[in-house]
Amino acid sequence: MNSSYLLETSSLGLDYGAFSAVGNVDLKIRKGSIHTVIGPNGAGKTSLFHCLTGERKPTRGSIHFNGENLTSLAAHKRVSKGMSRSFQITSLFQNLSVRENLRIAAQGRDGLNALKFWVPETANKANVAKADEVLERIKLEKYADRQAGELSHGQQRVLEVGMALCGSPSLLLLDEPTSGMGVDDIPIMTGLISELGKDHTVMLIEHNMRLVMSISDRITVMHQGNILIEGSPEEVKGDEQVKKAYLGESGHE
Amino acid sequence: MNKKTSIFGGVTIIALALMVLMPILLPSVTLATEILIFALAALACNLLLGYTGLLSFGQGIFFGGGAYSASLVMLHLNFGLISALITAILVGALLALIVGALAIRRTGIYFVMLTLSFSQMAYFLAYTFSDWTGGDNGLLDVPRPALTLFGMTISDLQSSEAFYIFVAAVFAIVFVFSRRVIHSPFGTTLVAIRENEGRSSAVGFSTNHFKLVAFVISGAITGLAGALYAMLLNFAPLSNVELLMSENILIMTIIGGTSSLIGSILGAGSIVLMGDLLSSIWPRWMMILGAVLIAVVLFLPGGLWGGILSLTSKFPWKKVKTNVTSEVTK
Repeated sequence: MNSSYLLETSSLGLDYGAFSAVGNVDLKIRKGSIHTVIGPNGAGKTSLFHCLTGERKPTRGSIHFNGENLTSLAAHKRVSKGMSRSFQITSLFQNLSVRENLRIAAQGRDGLNALKFWVPETANKANVAKADEVLERIKLEKYADRQAGELSHGQQRVLEVGMALCGSPSLLLLDEPTSGMGVDDIPIMTGLISELGKDHTVMLIEHNMRLVMSISDRITVMHQGNILIEGSPEEVKGDEQVKKAYLGESGHE
Repeated sequence: MNKKTSIFGGVTIIALALMVLMPILLPSVTLATEILIFALAALACNLLLGYTGLLSFGQGIFFGGGAYSASLVMLHLNFGLISALITAILVGALLALIVGALAIRRTGIYFVMLTLSFSQMAYFLAYTFSDWTGGDNGLLDVPRPALTLFGMTISDLQSSEAFYIFVAAVFAIVFVFSRRVIHSPFGTTLVAIRENEGRSSAVGFSTNHFKLVAFVISGAITGLAGALYAMLLNFAPLSNVELLMSENILIMTIIGGTSSLIGSILGAGSIVLMGDLLSSIWPRWMMILGAVLIAVVLFLPGGLWGGILSLTSKFPWKKVKTNVTSEVTK
């Protein structure tokens, strides 16, 4: 096991009945990199992502994280191992304030210690501090006391990433962070992710090619459940197979 | 962030005011006692329904379990007041642990159906074991022991006024305790689970553990309420474990409003009062109750307390409003 990789899958696969959503994937994510998985619709990106987060149990293969086999660990237990995720479809606590969204997300690190019902919720100062720190980092301080549901879509997407950040992860898994964002908001997300990349390992699925090409250190292209190629943005950009895979569909992006 | 003081401030003060006013304004002290006992049950139900988002038809099991267990230990083992109440709390918690552990394995409608089945089972168990429960006749001659603390008899609790004061003191303790629960890491996680269970799990919470503890706390409080009810009536009727009891507790919770614990007092108060006032006029008064429930659900989604809040927010009555809205958004 090469220790310069934070996450390694070997022959990872996920079948739905006779259909193989993920075929046989060996994905390696280098520590400290921003690693993007792209591919046309139906390429198996989301299924792969679900296996990594623990939402789906892979049919075959294994997932090693920090040298530890997490293949069948429950999703909520992966947070304490240092994995944290965001959702493609915004998934916030809509009726709670922005600050409370972040504080609860930070509280998730406590696991069963959060069962304490005899102390104030602010008793764990580390969680309050984490929420404030992330609030500043995602630049939503002004909206701290606003309900999450009242934010604009772009701000909600940023909060979505912020909540994942509250888990103090070593690996940040982002599922289409710009999903549904307007063109004007995308630079904010691009800036945020590349800034997070400085002190986190980030693995993301993304469709916005400009974002992908500008911030990724490595890009894995998936096609029909398997890895087509993996390389730097330049290598991927010039690859004939990749062009064919995309144009063979409907010329997505 | 000044939550530390808020469990004794804000709505707790309103609750205390209601406790003082009720025996003065209501036709009888016994009626006020009954309201507080059901307010306890509704408050416990609110922890599940309002704060965790779990619609449980099992509350009657815990209520009846508390009533029977406290009565039995007083009748057969000569337990005193406090030890009988503690027995009821433990039995309520244990029953909730059993029902909860099985029911929370499913979500949504299947969860509701499981609590419903447990409720039916508990009723027939109580009906079958009539040697212990008195079956259809109920458990008769339940005593109301004197209140003794550290060997000193404080009150024999025989007068309805004395018993009211005792129940009010118990209620106040449970109310403050519940406020602590709500404003704790545990309570805020419950709200997160209600808001978005998928996300709660994704940020690291093992949501089933939280739901189960919520169940146990709710069962413990409901068991306590059941025991107090048996002491009030000197009798533990079979109707305590009937499905209708679970329904009544749910209706009180919903009519009062699920966003605040004060709602539970209002809900219990309005249903007990309606029952008392209307049943003497018209034996079919439950039809009116149905109409009221429909009206509240359709026109006052925040329940009675939500309605009062939206009224007061129209007046420049700032102090109450700010205290109270912080409770609602929590």
